[in-house]
Amino acid sequence: MNLKKYLVRALHRLQKGPGYTYKELLVWYCDNTNTHGPKRIIKEGPKKKLMWFFLTLLFASLVFWQWGILINTYLSYNVTSSLSIGFKTMKFPAVTVCNANPFKYSEVKPLLKELDRLIEAALERILQPGNSSEDESPPLDLELWNQIPLVLIDEHDKDNPVILDIFETNQTAVGNDTNVNNGTAGDNETMGNKTMNDFGAKPTCSHQGSDNCTYRNFSSAAQAVTEWYILQSTSILSKVPLHERIRMGYQAEDMILACLYGAEPCNYKNFTQIYHPDHGNCYIFNWGMDEEALNSSNPGAEFGLKLILDISQQDYIPYLSSAAGARLMLHQQKSFPFLKDQGIYAMAGTETSIGVLVDELERMGYPYSDCTMNGSDVPVKNLYSQYNTSYSIQACLRSCFQNHMVEICGCGHYMFPLPEGVTYCNNEDNPGWAYCYSSLRSSIKQRQICIDSCKETCNDTQYKMTISMADWPSEASEDWIFHILSYERDMSTNVTLDRNGVIKLNIYFQEYNYRTISESAATTIVWLLSSLGGQFGFWMGGSVLCLIEFGEIIIDSVWITIINIIGWCKGLKQRRARARYPDAPPTVSELVEAHTNLGFQHEAPGAVPRAGELPPEPGTPPPNYDSLRVRPPDTLGPDSNRDTE
Amino acid sequence: APAGPGKKITARLKRTLPVRGPQAPTLSELMRWYCLNTNTHGCRRIVVSRGRLRRLLWIVLTLSAVGLILWQCAELLMNYYSASVSVTVQFQKLPFPAVTICNINPYKYSAMKEYLSELDKETKKALETFYGFSEGKSKVRRSVDDWNSTGSDFFQHIPLLKVEDFSRTATDLHTGQKRKIEGSVFHKDSSIVNSGDSNNIIGFQLCDANNSSDCALYTFSSGVNAIQEWYKLHYMNIMAQIPLETKEKLSYSADDLLLTCFFDGLSCDKRHFTRFHHPLHGNCYTFNSGENGTILSTSTGGSEYGLQVVLYIDEAEYNPFLVTSSGAKIIVHDQNEYPFIEDIGTEIEPAAATSIGMHFTRSRKLSKPYSDCTETGADIPVENLYNKSYSLQICLHSCFQKAMVDSCGCAQYAQPLPAGAEYCNYKKNPNWMYCYYRLHEKFVKEQLGCQQICKDACSFKEWALTTSIAQWPSIVSEDWMLRVLSWDKGQKLNKKLNKTDLANLMVFYKDLNERFISENPANTLVILLSNFGGQLGLWMSCSVVCVIEIVEVFFIDSLSIVLRRQWQKAKKWWRNRQQGSPGKAPQAGDPERQGHDNPVCIDEDLPTFTTALRLPLPQNSPLPRTPPPNYSTLRLETAFTEQLPDTLELDRH
Repeated sequence: MNLKKYLVRALHRLQKGPGYTYKELLVWYCDNTNTHGPKRIIKEGPKKKLMWFFLTLLFASLVFWQWGILINTYLSYNVTSSLSIGFKTMKFPAVTVCNANPFKYSEVKPLLKELDRLIEAALERILQPGNSSEDESPPLDLELWNQIPLVLIDEHDKDNPVILDIFETNQTAVGNDTNVNNGTAGDNETMGNKTMNDFGAKPTCSHQGSDNCTYRNFSSAAQAVTEWYILQSTSILSKVPLHERIRMGYQAEDMILACLYGAEPCNYKNFTQIYHPDHGNCYIFNWGMDEEALNSSNPGAEFGLKLILDISQQDYIPYLSSAAGARLMLHQQKSFPFLKDQGIYAMAGTETSIGVLVDELERMGYPYSDCTMNGSDVPVKNLYSQYNTSYSIQACLRSCFQNHMVEICGCGHYMFPLPEGVTYCNNEDNPGWAYCYSSLRSSIKQRQICIDSCKETCNDTQYKMTISMADWPSEASEDWIFHILSYERDMSTNVTLDRNGVIKLNIYFQEYNYRTISESAATTIVWLLSSLGGQFGFWMGGSVLCLIEFGEIIIDSVWITIINIIGWCKGLKQRRARARYPDAPPTVSELVEAHTNLGFQHEAPGAVPRAGELPPEPGTPPPNYDSLRVRPPDTLGPDSNRDTE
Repeated sequence: APAGPGKKITARLKRTLPVRGPQAPTLSELMRWYCLNTNTHGCRRIVVSRGRLRRLLWIVLTLSAVGLILWQCAELLMNYYSASVSVTVQFQKLPFPAVTICNINPYKYSAMKEYLSELDKETKKALETFYGFSEGKSKVRRSVDDWNSTGSDFFQHIPLLKVEDFSRTATDLHTGQKRKIEGSVFHKDSSIVNSGDSNNIIGFQLCDANNSSDCALYTFSSGVNAIQEWYKLHYMNIMAQIPLETKEKLSYSADDLLLTCFFDGLSCDKRHFTRFHHPLHGNCYTFNSGENGTILSTSTGGSEYGLQVVLYIDEAEYNPFLVTSSGAKIIVHDQNEYPFIEDIGTEIEPAAATSIGMHFTRSRKLSKPYSDCTETGADIPVENLYNKSYSLQICLHSCFQKAMVDSCGCAQYAQPLPAGAEYCNYKKNPNWMYCYYRLHEKFVKEQLGCQQICKDACSFKEWALTTSIAQWPSIVSEDWMLRVLSWDKGQKLNKKLNKTDLANLMVFYKDLNERFISENPANTLVILLSNFGGQLGLWMSCSVVCVIEIVEVFFIDSLSIVLRRQWQKAKKWWRNRQQGSPGKAPQAGDPERQGHDNPVCIDEDLPTFTTALRLPLPQNSPLPRTPPPNYSTLRLETAFTEQLPDTLELDRH
């Protein structure tokens, strides 16, 4: 009953509204709305009415269509990029310098002695196959060899390649179960002048003594020897504890001879040591781990970093690295240097000048682009976080590989950091690791998985380098330079340096030291609203208030509907109540008539003559005011087609 | 059935849509009506304002608002074709680019001996005559074969000359005669030449063969340039006569050039390389050219996973006059691109490991109407002579070659042949050098129109290279490395390799980030319309509806009013002529008709229920009525004080 009361009250309130019927409401709306079209519909003659009706309809649909497009554009999260170039005071990049050779040969010689003798003997056999008679005084330790031997593959006969172990004379035909990794199978016509087609295929077997072998073949002996040596030495060195490996590498005071940053002197103590599996001890200047990063506020070589390094080329491991020089890399503070990817070489005996332009790309994160701010949302455990470095795509890819390696091979690869509780692979504990590693490394599926799971960082900073080189020291100056540098390092008057060791580096900002591409959202909510408003305004001159007006009208029409329904229901009830009397209730005039005219009969409802046919009633004609006139039943308007039925 | 539904509808339409003209009788009335009823904001103020100053102010304001709208919209329209740049970075597996490697020296000198001996002798003689330089051996040899002048015929046409500038005389290399120089003198490198002591300028003279007085003298500040340039001129003459197959044989084979090859951790060999003959660099080899349909890709960055090759430079076979530097040249390019190695190649030093880190950038510009670039080159009227996709470089070279064939009758040696043409050589086209130099000068000065015709391509790929060099092989590894590499090279090479004959090259992706720089239209039609709407709304609260209103009122209605006036005038005049007497002028508005009865005035009537609803008045009301009181106070002020009879007539029907 409460509800009914409420409804009644609401109805009463509504009666103050613009109209009692839909048509009244509509006309009222058209006349009073602020949108431009509807007003016109009712303002003028019927022809224009029709025209404006369709125009309004057309414009309204245009507005909605364009709104759809705009909202779609907004939801596609486009970005615009703005580029800025110039010079500003910037953090000087972290500079990592390494020697291309990881360890001093003099230090690791005891460990690699057997391996070196083995490779020397093998080379001897390869190069002079005839005189293999000379006997080495101590017998070769063939245990290393037998795990992963170097072989020659003769592929003159393509179907039956002949495999020849270098230390054994018997030739073995490759059976069906072995699988020649035919990346580079020889072409007999052109290589026919050689007795051996492919050299140095290196079989790696999954288990010792098992038949499941893969030959990795190389078209060049030099490649094969280097790869074989790297594989073997990796296995040997992985057993050495880390502090021992650091000791065997190059020490900062031996390597960094002079350092000057701007006008301030610096020395090897300003460098942070880090152990890099490829290059041994690396030293990072301005890494920003302990102290604040240095700024550089001037362009030019005078205000940059000047370094003199010694790589002591005489102490290189002969078979491990054939290129000599320093490896250096510029990177951001607190990021791990991935020298193999981004590093550059500096040649001994030269002065290398590196002009730096910082190329930054600042992107917006989700949903604008698929990048990660700090790597926390990447499903790969970042193994490089143990160095306290930030996330990078390279770190992610390597961690991903290492995780796969641990999962599949049971041990970690020497080149990458270890997850907790795992050891590095070596030949004794994990005899099949080399096979496992090389199959994993060449697996495209594994790479794809890693590529898919790693995301790039949103802020990508690259250091664009302009590299130029000159001979250093000059012939005239080299005597005194070497003398002083040797004296400073070794406190002796003997010259311990030469052209093949010293490297001078100048790293400085260029005249324009930054180029920043930053993204901003192309479509903001403000943009969306102003565009929506522009569209609505353009076609119909409308605004948000017009939408509210329209909503109001809809509410009103709902109320009218409710009233109508209630009215209908009431009518139904009344009709039902009235159904007991077959006739309509007598009108007052009928009653009067019946009272005065005795012969009066109730007429059938259909027989009542129409109003027009009635004779004119006597009496004063009604005043001709519009307001008094009864509304004609069938008028024009949207619902006027009712009377055609 | 009396009538079909169609007729019924027509009748209905006729009844419900009576034809009516503009409601205002005069233009000023129309304007007033418009201003009062329009949706735009300023106009109403003009009519409503009282006082001349205020009205004037509003007129000025409204007009300036209109002006502002027009200006801003014009601005918007003009800036419609602007582009915004977006940079996306995507980390993904990247296709490895094609890497073309050439030896700097095009052909093996020993094999070329038979073609070049004449030229070399001539060059040596020039060196001796002008500079007193002589190799120990050549002196002896010359006395033996005593300048047979059979083949050196054409050398005499274009001899090297020593020019004494002030007297404009030149000493001929052969005859030793001094002769007067006619024609104009060109300094090939005039910015360097110091005209003060130009005593010993070396150069050569090119003359029009048909008109020997028309000569051009090319001089050089240094004999090094002069001799190289002169040598190249004759060299091209000779090479133009040698068929391509022979040239390919004279050059290096893949086995010669490539010692070892390693890609993505796997060994590779010469079958991964495609031979490509370059006119100036001989045989070049393209790694990953995509010729067999597959393009290699890299899924890991870093130097281990890129291309590593050791090149055999073979310095002993170098041509001493043609090339003066040693090493190799490489270029990183797309598989569809032509490698312009002579223009944009990177040089590789021997006895060193060159590591080249790549960074991939892809760019795309919007073509017309945003910028003047071409998508495929199909709309450029220059035939692409190279069998590769369009680039600006290709277009310029093709354009020059075409001009060369048109004006000189033969094709220049360094560029591909157009159909039906052949390379210039001195025997067939004695005039070509002069022609070529003249044409080339025109080309450089942009007089050939090639620079105007050729447009840059809309999309291009770029590999930014970071090159660094390390010593290779290192001192301690040099010994075994050279021995093993010599063994690799095979038995046919008996000598041990020298490290200056070798170059190590590493090409790899620094990272797998692909930068894609693209231009996008900054405006779409939707945004343009939104901006229009914003402007219209800001200044006048106007919309398209207003524009239509303006068109309707100012053009259609005004026109019809004017026409109607004219028509009435004409009618009146006609009637006057017919009656011969001044007829009663049509009264301006029957007072009886000014009330609610006049449909024209409905708008101005008291808003009764019916008029508010715009319900039509019953035409033939059955109800008789009292005439309404004709008090003027009761009457509303109407917008239209004057009523033309014409409108009334129309209404009566």
